[in-house]
Amino acid sequence: MITTGSKFLIGSAVLAAVAAILYGVTQDGVMGTVGLATAAVALTLLAVVNTMTRDSNVFTDDGVPLETVAAAQPSPLGGIWPFAFAASGVIIAVGLVTQQTIVVIGLAALAATGAEWIISNWADRASADRRHNASVRSRLSNPLEFPLGGAVAIGVVIFAFSRVMLWFSKVNTVIAFSILALVVLGIAFVFANRPSIKPGAIGGTAVAGAVAVVVAGTAAGLDGERDIAVFETTSLWQQEAIAHPEEYAEGAEEGKHPAGFICESAEEFPEADEKASQTVAMKSNHFQIFLLEDGTLDFDVPGPRDEGSDVITFQRSNTTNIVFRNESDEDRRLSLDMGTEDFESEDGTTRIVPVQQCTTLIEPGAAQLLTVTPPLPSNVFADSPNPNAPSGEGGFWFFVPGVSSATLELVVP
Amino acid sequence: MTFVPKWTRPAAIVGVAALAAGCATDAPQDTTQPAGPNAQMIYDLSWPIFLIAGIVGVIVMVAIAYAIWKFRDRGQPIPEQTHGNPKLEITLTIIPALILIGVAIPTVATVMALDETDDTECIVNVTGQQWWWEMDYPVQDGCGGVSAPIVTSGQMVIPTETPVLIRGTSRDVIHSFWIPRLNGKRDMVPGRTHNLRMEADEPGIYAGQCAEFCGLSHANMRMEVVAMEPDDFEAWKATQLSEYESPAEGTLAATGEQTFITNCSRCHVIDGLTDSDGEPVISRADQQVYAGVAPNLSWFMTRNTFAGATWDLLNATCRDDVWDADPADFGERYLEGVSEECLNQVDLREWLRNSPEKKPMYADPEQLEPTDGLFRGMPYLALSEAQIDELVAYLLERK
Repeated sequence: MITTGSKFLIGSAVLAAVAAILYGVTQDGVMGTVGLATAAVALTLLAVVNTMTRDSNVFTDDGVPLETVAAAQPSPLGGIWPFAFAASGVIIAVGLVTQQTIVVIGLAALAATGAEWIISNWADRASADRRHNASVRSRLSNPLEFPLGGAVAIGVVIFAFSRVMLWFSKVNTVIAFSILALVVLGIAFVFANRPSIKPGAIGGTAVAGAVAVVVAGTAAGLDGERDIAVFETTSLWQQEAIAHPEEYAEGAEEGKHPAGFICESAEEFPEADEKASQTVAMKSNHFQIFLLEDGTLDFDVPGPRDEGSDVITFQRSNTTNIVFRNESDEDRRLSLDMGTEDFESEDGTTRIVPVQQCTTLIEPGAAQLLTVTPPLPSNVFADSPNPNAPSGEGGFWFFVPGVSSATLELVVP
Repeated sequence: MTFVPKWTRPAAIVGVAALAAGCATDAPQDTTQPAGPNAQMIYDLSWPIFLIAGIVGVIVMVAIAYAIWKFRDRGQPIPEQTHGNPKLEITLTIIPALILIGVAIPTVATVMALDETDDTECIVNVTGQQWWWEMDYPVQDGCGGVSAPIVTSGQMVIPTETPVLIRGTSRDVIHSFWIPRLNGKRDMVPGRTHNLRMEADEPGIYAGQCAEFCGLSHANMRMEVVAMEPDDFEAWKATQLSEYESPAEGTLAATGEQTFITNCSRCHVIDGLTDSDGEPVISRADQQVYAGVAPNLSWFMTRNTFAGATWDLLNATCRDDVWDADPADFGERYLEGVSEECLNQVDLREWLRNSPEKKPMYADPEQLEPTDGLFRGMPYLALSEAQIDELVAYLLERK
């Protein structure tokens, strides 16, 4: 006997086969046809197995009175799924003229409501017993509905939470959510000490809390995030010195920061060099440069050490991560001098400026990461004396400000 | 007379055809023909595991097919339904567990052995970008000593019977480096360095292909490892490190040098190339292409392939001479490079004439918004036939 489930699989297999043919005739490329044909074969296999095993339904052969067969029953009541399916179509239409995200949401809704519609229709005709049909529907759809629905609900609450947190200032966020945590703890304490409290009260409180979070999140999201200050880095200080040299010099005279480029300075710069104990390091397969106690630079590379070589080689235009380890007794930074480049000022004049990168000032025993992407080969500057190289040699050089003996040539082919 | 079902004959034909489809005389990327100790380790591990998995798979499929056919629905009464059989279930849990333990022990041992890099004697940086591979040899004492970086592409030259360490990374998206006859795959990830051992027993060319989908021309991102005797490798290094020599004045190649500077040097590097004022010609590929580099063409005609090793620089006859050379003569043949008689003029000229038409790339200037105007691949250069003649003449001297 061909059961309802088998019919569903047979129909799906036929649909996939027809779609494969249509796709192959009307579209370029073979991957769509291959995918649909594969689906047709798989569905056919499932249909055969399902038919042979009678859909695992031991009742399908049982004789039933004529008046209880499905065809003799009144039509099933209309569900919400056709409406939801149509609404999903509207969402897609709206998305097509507004933004792509709404189209994606509409497609997801279309798939979900379509699946629900198919399952409901199938379950309504599974047998003559409405209660059995409802049970069949639940058995099939609940494992999908509960986790997906739960994930969406939790996602909405979390997103709303994040909007609220980003709306408050940093300090107020801590204060507000500390108070909120105390409120939640207090309510939980009350519930725990009143075992006789009605379950509806607990559920109602949870729902009210979730609704409050979503409403607050919506309001905060519409109002926008707080202003987030840009953290000063060595790169920002270096750029500031190049882009606005006069203001930078004035700031140095007023004592706001040390004079000169940060990458050539052994002194501590505000904010960028604070908290020097904070270190960042990679766990494997990275280049390492060490500032040794004797004031020299040594290096290690992935794989066998380039024994004997006194230069380090990086690939051109390739991002290379270097861990700088300060094994000296003082706070130090690692800097890289990659020659010079033309810089066009705001007034239209062009100046030659150094191309330098550096780590923050780090304390003895600490490590810091420097990421470098050299766009030019080092031999471009072979004949241009590098002020940070020993004896004014050309090329690219690593150096440590304040330690003249700590230099290492970088070769970029 | 024995009855033979009618369906057995066509089934036998289909079976034989399916088996025959697995046979090939020209299969340069065959993992069942290991040509080095690393690939041999993988092969020695894979065939017994394949055998065990095959036997288990056949047993399971036959059992399922037998059950489905034997107990198919014929309208018979439903048999008595039973639930649970602890002895059977425990047995069917223990047997697969023992099989998996048996497979895991040699697998873990092989993985750890392949991960070993301390014994390598030569470092080669391999960098993937859409859609070609760059190989560079950093300054090192390994590889018999490399005094200045060597940069090449498409073909990686290594000495035989020498464990080589590949330090792999990528400049744009994730690629995967795979030379099936020499070792397994290794992903090349931007911002990370992944290590891979490589060693070839005998001189020869070992083909490979990017094994991680990386965009439009992923299928055209190939590479080859060229293994040669250590003495031949030294000769290859000497060529790669030799000084640049401009073509003789008044020749077509000399005109080609200027054509190269005008049209190609924005992206391509030729070490030692200078302009008419004697100043070094500086490539700013980072301002032109997304990956920030284009293949270094310093010794272009010492290679046998171009455009991501998709096409041969040698014509079919000369290519066969190199690929089929006796191991003892291979190095000499390869080091001859590409002569005018051996050059695959058709493909090279088609490439210069309109590279995006020959190899799918993101090279339409009007569709570069996602990369801020940077090309992914080589753009159409609108070269005239005369300019192509000049460039071919110039490139022929790059060996």
